[in-house]
Amino acid sequence: MDYLDFIDTIQSIADGVLFGATYALLGIGFTLIFGVMHKINLSYAAASIGAAYASLLILAGFKVPPAFVFVLSALCGGVIGGLVYWIGFKFIPLNNPLATLMSTLGLLLLIDEIVVHTTQGVPLAYPVLFSDVIIPAGPFNLRGDLIFVFMLGCICMVLLLLLIYRTRLGIATRAVSQQPVASALCGISTTRVNILTFVITGVLGGIAGAMIGAAIGMLSPLLALPLTVKGLIVCVIGGLGSIPGAILAGLLVGGLENLFQFWRGVSERDLYIMLLLFIFLVFRPGGLFATAPGRD
Amino acid sequence: MSAEILKVSGLATSYGKIEALKGVDLRVESGKVTCLLGPNGAGKTTLMMTIAGILQARRGSILLEGKQLVGLSPANIVTQGVALVPENRLVFPQMSVRENLLAGAYQRNDKVGIAGDIERMYTRFPRLRERSEQLAGTLSGGEQQMLAVARALMSRPRLLLMDEPSLGLAPMVVADIFRIISELNRDGTSIFLVEQNAHMALQVAHHFYLMEQGKVTFDGTPGELAEDEVIQRAYLGTSRRSDP
Repeated sequence: MDYLDFIDTIQSIADGVLFGATYALLGIGFTLIFGVMHKINLSYAAASIGAAYASLLILAGFKVPPAFVFVLSALCGGVIGGLVYWIGFKFIPLNNPLATLMSTLGLLLLIDEIVVHTTQGVPLAYPVLFSDVIIPAGPFNLRGDLIFVFMLGCICMVLLLLLIYRTRLGIATRAVSQQPVASALCGISTTRVNILTFVITGVLGGIAGAMIGAAIGMLSPLLALPLTVKGLIVCVIGGLGSIPGAILAGLLVGGLENLFQFWRGVSERDLYIMLLLFIFLVFRPGGLFATAPGRD
Repeated sequence: MSAEILKVSGLATSYGKIEALKGVDLRVESGKVTCLLGPNGAGKTTLMMTIAGILQARRGSILLEGKQLVGLSPANIVTQGVALVPENRLVFPQMSVRENLLAGAYQRNDKVGIAGDIERMYTRFPRLRERSEQLAGTLSGGEQQMLAVARALMSRPRLLLMDEPSLGLAPMVVADIFRIISELNRDGTSIFLVEQNAHMALQVAHHFYLMEQGKVTFDGTPGELAEDEVIQRAYLGTSRRSDP
């Protein structure tokens, strides 16, 4: 490998890691809902893309600066998150593990269909911020739009970690996820924590959706399914229920994905990510941050 | 007859078609320790969970100083002044000792009062102060039991329900737990205790119930309990041992 190839390899990993912040946010969403309810919300990535679409529609209707698209997407994400809980969980028997899997799969398809029908399936351009900025770092060039996406992702993660580890609501969330009966005995309302988790992860998803749109410059309904798979892979590799795990796994998957794309081309890259998942499932099924079981 | 803080009458709770409680009647006197004995599967834990609102009663009533608790949410029952120390402790394993206590005070909003109560818990349970920032899952069984009791006390209950607090603990730790139970009682908390260790319970409880197959089958004072032949054989051993 000569010098230029080496530079290109590192460059592609760096770009991938920056984009990986979006995977990290999606992984956090899946993992938080799993942590609190022990349920997989399959519609999460589709809802995130849906929120980004909704923010585009609002942006087209009102004259607001493009940067607002992130705020709008976050708000739409929160609303959609609440709706997903209401439709996909509230009336579904939660003691049946397959029921919510089916209801959220249905929601995934429903959201996808709504997006396809409102946009005629045509990809829409998404406002890209800082795309003309290139930050040189030694022999490497860091893309401004990716840096922006990455920073935004980091801010969201820090805010989320503060929320989970430093607030009363965070204590309630962790209590419900660790020991639901005891949390009820402490007077914590499980239903309320569940709803809030859906709204908060929805907000995160909305931001992730907007970040994905801003990073690739467009939105397409075809994104929903691959992102669902990526989000699930990230939360399995990170360790189901682990937020730090999801962050690290998101960046890891992002970096490796871009590296494989650089080495083997776009058609093969997901193959290697699947292989990575396979390796984890065999050798470290608990993920990067397998939570230590308690004494009881 | 002194005042009662809790009166359970005709209480029935089912798991699907299986009736675990078949009409339970009992009362907990205010300011006293009442103990419920019974074999495994008698429905003792079901009764505790029903009083705390985790399980729904099918029939009957639970009155806390005259106020109906049946139908209230667990959170609402906590605000009424009832706290349950659950069987197997059920601490939050991935949260620090301090956070466990904060979770116990979730229904309260008085920051100063909560901080003061945490300090009071640390004084009563010095081991918890030492382990304040440690994850609860790494504590020993006895320390977890202390934490579970302290967590329940953080809601400032008038009635403390305790479900087998001595389960799986070393004899010295059990003695500790019972010392704390009588201390709490002396400080004015009414206690309703489920226990299999009748010897220890005899030292603290003012009144006993025995439950078998979902029904109360004995109701009496410690003296009457110690004289009942069947109970003697089943719970105290046929020959009275001198050591507890």
